[in-house]
Amino acid sequence: MAVQTDLQNRTERTLGSSSWIGRLRALDLSSPRHADKLGYILLAPAVLLIFVILVYPILLSVDLSLQDVDIPRIGETREPYTLDNYTKLFGSAEFWRASWVSLKLIVVVTSACFAIGLATALLVNQHFKGRTLARLFVALPWAVPEVIAVVTWWWMFDSSFGLINWLLVTLDLADKPIAWLSQPVPAFLVVSIVMIWKGYPFVSIMLLAGLQAIPEDHYQAAKVDGAGAWQRLFWITLPSLLPVFGVTMILVVLWVFRDFAVVFILTGGGPIGATQTLSMMTYEQAFGFFRMGFASAIGVVTLVICVLATRLMVSRMAKSMY
Amino acid sequence: MKSHLTLKAVLAVAAGTGLLLAGAPAQAETLKFISWQVNERGYGDWWNQAIAEFEATHPGVTVELSNVARPEYADTMTTLFASGSPPEIVHLASFEYQKFADNGWLEDLGPWIEQSDLDLTDWAGQDKCVWEGTTNCIMLLYFGFVMAYNERLLSEAGIAVPTTYDEYMAAARALTVDTDGDGIIDQFGIGHHTTAGNQYTHEMLNYILDAGGYWTDSEGKPAMNTPEMIEGLARWKTVLTEGLTPVDMTSNDTRQLFNEERVAMRVDGPWVYGVMRGADPEVFKHLKLAPPPFSPPVGGSSNVITMPSDISQEKKELVWDFIEIVTSEEFQKRFAQEGASPAPRPGAVRDSVYEAVPHFDLLIETQQAAAAAGVDRIPLGLEIQFNEFAKIVRNEVQRMVIEDLDPAEVAARLQTEAEALQ
Repeated sequence: MAVQTDLQNRTERTLGSSSWIGRLRALDLSSPRHADKLGYILLAPAVLLIFVILVYPILLSVDLSLQDVDIPRIGETREPYTLDNYTKLFGSAEFWRASWVSLKLIVVVTSACFAIGLATALLVNQHFKGRTLARLFVALPWAVPEVIAVVTWWWMFDSSFGLINWLLVTLDLADKPIAWLSQPVPAFLVVSIVMIWKGYPFVSIMLLAGLQAIPEDHYQAAKVDGAGAWQRLFWITLPSLLPVFGVTMILVVLWVFRDFAVVFILTGGGPIGATQTLSMMTYEQAFGFFRMGFASAIGVVTLVICVLATRLMVSRMAKSMY
Repeated sequence: MKSHLTLKAVLAVAAGTGLLLAGAPAQAETLKFISWQVNERGYGDWWNQAIAEFEATHPGVTVELSNVARPEYADTMTTLFASGSPPEIVHLASFEYQKFADNGWLEDLGPWIEQSDLDLTDWAGQDKCVWEGTTNCIMLLYFGFVMAYNERLLSEAGIAVPTTYDEYMAAARALTVDTDGDGIIDQFGIGHHTTAGNQYTHEMLNYILDAGGYWTDSEGKPAMNTPEMIEGLARWKTVLTEGLTPVDMTSNDTRQLFNEERVAMRVDGPWVYGVMRGADPEVFKHLKLAPPPFSPPVGGSSNVITMPSDISQEKKELVWDFIEIVTSEEFQKRFAQEGASPAPRPGAVRDSVYEAVPHFDLLIETQQAAAAAGVDRIPLGLEIQFNEFAKIVRNEVQRMVIEDLDPAEVAARLQTEAEALQ
């Protein structure tokens, strides 16, 4: 013990009392005074990980978007900074058309997902025989892998041999098969239907969780005061669900905005750009035409739009509730 | 004492390992090779035979073959090259290698060819491997389209095998029928790729070439605003507006429909025979091949083999050995046999190929017809921009069909857009 203390004293003398070892030893992380430091140290690995997997690719995209580069290669000399990609992007009719298609898709799919999601959530929140099975069916489309679901829908909407056309013609709802994926309006409709089918269960599950969190007392009190079913829906259920609505809406909007598989598999963005979204355009420019710099510029603009939309929705929903 | 022992033990293990490694033979070398043909009947078998031969003649060197599906192939290869870790054996489609060559990622094979015994005289399609004056690849397949048809469907309809465009259209109209009377057409005269992808442009080219048109002139300048091109566009429009082909289909879908007797005729590359062999035996006996009713036939280069420019000299030598095996007379003959396609090496045919591929003369005939006419699916002067060009063509032609536009108007617009692209 005496030997150890002597070694310790000699070490401290060698390094000096103000050395980092001394300071580290003086840092008692268990004391309340340094509690915040302990927090930062514990968070550091997670922050580092987020930086590597999230922030670095974003910075790389921004960097690429500011270079006139086709296919960049790691380790090679970078091109000089330029705003050419952004100038070209904002002057491109294709970009504005893709933005318009993305916006239309967001409005149509999000509205429908919320209408169907709320209706199904209210339904399966009721007590009835077979409720568990009903909940399972409501959630089922969410569980089906996206590619499998889209390919199945693609065959159902096939213009020549698809089930939908067969039903329409057999039931005399159409006099001839509809070219679902070769005409602009039907193609947009098909993409919307598939996205709604895939997306509404998520809304339903989220709203169901929100519904179950509303205290039963509120409804009892409203009933005592003579409130009808519609009044209870508009004055208790919907206001109580607003925070859930907010979060869910952000997630659904972001999903629609960046979803790629549905459009890629069903239409590839066609016909004549009727279903070309910003994410499809990004992919096509990057891996179809090998213009990584330009594709990165589209990606960065998409990111900015997503951030602004999220911020806007968070603020609005927060104000509505509180 | 304990720590001394532990240290000694660690040193002993390290020294032992070092001795073992020093005494071991040279470290095994692995060549990465990615292809979309790994699981393809015929071509996949041929690649595996070439790998077996290479590994047998190069002890300690293995070829690691991986499959990447064709739709994701260009993305995967681009990512691998961009990240600086390309496969050592590079297999690319002939319409996509130019972008890699243009970036300086592919080895100049000129010196390798000069040092070897490889004679590329009259090697089919090899001129397409020269990019900016440098030989960047070796052509693996140059082909001409043939026409696959269902003999039973044609004979039941009392139609002879068409040999001209007019006969072909008459046959297509007669064979497009609602067989079960439910009000929906369920048998089509023709099967075409009618959805996204470059194949749309390739299949349209049948009609344009037959009408005497082509995308560019002999100097690589866009040549689309011509009476011949307008006629070709009008023919394609007729096929689509009359509903002679199912729509929203990929080429693979229509091949499958052909095998299921839902499509009576399909003009396609030599590989269609491999697909036909997958049909039910009762159907297969009715599936035949004939010269296409278009003159000249669509044809051209298909895929190439090469190596990256920035791998070690040792690996380059190994890859060149592999290339020499696949381009050898023996393996070119095997290619014809296994792939049921004419090999690019002149005269690489053995008699036994006719047992497996009875129509082999037809394949040679259409290959030579396409070559004689100087036809290639990838237009000269638009190689680098081909994907974008194909999208422009598809969009404008779809607009022509959807909005019922005059083909002359579309040809003029295509000319303007192609010129802007160059």
